[in-house]
Amino acid sequence: MPKLIRSTGGVFEEVEDTFVAIEDEAADPGGDILVSFSRLKGGGEALAARSHGRLGVRLEPEDEIEDLEGRLAGVALVALAFPKFRDGRPFTAARLLRTRLGFKGEIRAVGDVLRDQAGFMVRCGFDAFVPADGATASSWAEAAGRHSHVYQRAADARAPAFVERQGE
Amino acid sequence: MYRYDAIDRAVLADRTAEFRDQVRRRLAGELTEDQFKPLRLMNGLYLQLHAYMLRVAVPYGSLNPVQMRALADIARRFDRGYGHFTTRTNIQFNWVKLDDAPDILDALAAVDLHAIQTSGNCIRNVTADPYAGAAADELEDPRVWCEAIRQWSSLHPEFSFLPRKFKIAVTASPHDRTAAKVHDIGLLLRRGRDGETGFEVIVGGGMGRTPYVGPTIRAYLPSDRLFSYLEAILRVYNRHGRRDNIYKARIKILVAALGAEAFAREVEAEWEKIGPEGDLPRAEIDRIGAAFTNPDFVADPASGDFEARRAAEPAFARFVRNNLKAHIRPGYGIVDISLKGIGETPGDISADQMDLVADLAERFGQGDIRSTHEQNLVLPHVRLEHVHEVWKALDAAGLATPNINLISDIIACPGLDYCALANARAICVAQDIARRFETPERAEAIGEFKIKISGCINACGHHHVGHIGILGVDKKGEEFYQLTLGGSGAEDAAVGKMLGPALPIDRVTDAVEAIVDAYLRERREGERFLDTLRRTGDAPFKEAVYAEAH
Amino acid sequence: MKALTANRLSDGEVVFWKDGTWVERLSEAQVFSDEAGAGEAEASARTQRTVVIDPYLIDLVDSAGFWAPVSYRERIRALGPTNHELHGKQAEGGGAVEALRQAHGAARSSGRVNLIRRK
Repeated sequence: MPKLIRSTGGVFEEVEDTFVAIEDEAADPGGDILVSFSRLKGGGEALAARSHGRLGVRLEPEDEIEDLEGRLAGVALVALAFPKFRDGRPFTAARLLRTRLGFKGEIRAVGDVLRDQAGFMVRCGFDAFVPADGATASSWAEAAGRHSHVYQRAADARAPAFVERQGE
Repeated sequence: MYRYDAIDRAVLADRTAEFRDQVRRRLAGELTEDQFKPLRLMNGLYLQLHAYMLRVAVPYGSLNPVQMRALADIARRFDRGYGHFTTRTNIQFNWVKLDDAPDILDALAAVDLHAIQTSGNCIRNVTADPYAGAAADELEDPRVWCEAIRQWSSLHPEFSFLPRKFKIAVTASPHDRTAAKVHDIGLLLRRGRDGETGFEVIVGGGMGRTPYVGPTIRAYLPSDRLFSYLEAILRVYNRHGRRDNIYKARIKILVAALGAEAFAREVEAEWEKIGPEGDLPRAEIDRIGAAFTNPDFVADPASGDFEARRAAEPAFARFVRNNLKAHIRPGYGIVDISLKGIGETPGDISADQMDLVADLAERFGQGDIRSTHEQNLVLPHVRLEHVHEVWKALDAAGLATPNINLISDIIACPGLDYCALANARAICVAQDIARRFETPERAEAIGEFKIKISGCINACGHHHVGHIGILGVDKKGEEFYQLTLGGSGAEDAAVGKMLGPALPIDRVTDAVEAIVDAYLRERREGERFLDTLRRTGDAPFKEAVYAEAH
Repeated sequence: MKALTANRLSDGEVVFWKDGTWVERLSEAQVFSDEAGAGEAEASARTQRTVVIDPYLIDLVDSAGFWAPVSYRERIRALGPTNHELHGKQAEGGGAVEALRQAHGAARSSGRVNLIRRK
């Protein structure tokens, strides 16, 4: 079972993953399920109306995040896949999902997820991680908190350097 | 010059600590080479043929004397007493050990230098006009924007894993000394109708396998909207740039595939969504700008015996003709330091030479040193009365070759002598051509002539924009060289056209000489080589190179 | 004939395989006359992930009684950069280095290390 690290209010903890990924054709087993984007698009109504568990959707990098607009009702989790850790598209997807689509649920990094990107991921709005490099909650937290200052606005609440300087 | 504050220093300290930990994990076997490689590259550490190479950022080509001395110190302690200035205005150390890399980064951080994003698929060091703040034809100092871009792009959470590397140039002069039109983004500072400043935005230029002169996607962008606009461009690229083929991953391919107008529409639509929220507050631009106002100029300083020396000493007069450029202030000049000594490796500089340049900058140049994309250095603010003394000191150290923009001022990448990607050597080709045109009278008679040599199609030697471009290729295991004519990286940017079949290494210099001789026969009064070529076409040159082919 | 080469992880130095360890001089490298032995060594080298990076086999030819790489690139790796005669392995000089410099490789080589005058 791959480990899941979740950040709640800036605290990183290893938690149990209650979501079960189901195939597009498989029957809904109940409980917390993770479906593909096409299944979400195809079965929107029925999935949104399910009452016996939470709903998660997994997006691949080539999926357009804007297509989630109007479909986020009832969605508790968006998993964004990193097929390779060098694929930077999920950073944009996460940032837009938080800032433009206003998604408040869990954004989870899955796939080739390394601690060396933890800081960038947190800044773009990810709050759950399935590390592929054996990182623990504490090593993940250390990596995510590595930089005491940042230069840009992003999806988190951190004040960039130009704001910190104005306060001086 | 911009001075780091506590925040800037903390960013460097955190970053070097992070890298030290990554190196430790690699040596301990916790990271595989496949995982470590992109991480070390984002800190400028390459594995080359003989050793690791560390590429240190020289942000927008600007250094102070303390930094230059620190580079000399690193060259002595961790390398073999020299460094190499690149076509990206950075400096490379060729003989670095992985074990030492974290200590080198600490030594750099101590003088506010770093290797962040000097490689990898991220936003690289910004290119600025090397005469910024000094050029007589400048609208306003572009380094203010370069420093703001440096900060904005450093460890950018969204744009650190782009489809491919990304290079931005900023210039504020009508004469482009940055090769802006062959950058991923070229920003040309313009004065708007309202008297405010803004940028002409060029996107999708580039060299490499598929060279393009970039199209303008916005004629005028108010300067206070720059950062939201950059964010829009980068976001469109990050989402839609190709990731399936490394040779088609640069933004130029996306711009060419969509067409400049459709690409511009995508950017404008994204820009609208971002809004002014994405811009940098005026106060921050003003804070950075204040660092670039130069208080040390003297009003109308005496020029001493400058004119008399110039009249009396032909060698000094030649240096002045070729290596001294007009300054925005009377009584001052811009001194070009050639790193193209005849027979030397283009861009190489010894630790002792670095120390000398630092001393001269301190004594005579307001502590300001620049590196150029043509692999030379510049002292941008020298009083005319001091130029002779500066020249004497440079000359004694082998740094006063009077060949700026002349035929022996050749750009060459490290090529197969160092680079793991190269197919052929570039340095020895440059050395051989420079020796052939060693006589300064001859070089001056030929006039402006830019030869640029790359050891492979990645085009680090900018061969596409050389008046003569020379590209090393591997032909059945032998080093061959393909010649292109008519390229330019200046405001009249153009990609050179291939002249004919590739030549073996021992025929390259002869071919260059044949082209030069043909030019001298064909040229009309006042024509540069490029002008003649554009008038005659390449027929006379093709004839000259290939007629006697055996 | 073949030799096995790589770059050492800790300092990037060009190294050559010799009976399970690595040496810095090509003249001391183990030379393989059979594919099987070479392949075995390569497979074994690939497991040394914290010692070397990307081991691979190179072809050799005879040059003045020494083994020299056929490929031009590999000769530069075994010597050092041609623009700095005193940098890299070539600095120590001697017969093996001279033989590499003069090597006219068979198929894939121009044998032109010395063609351009060095300063």
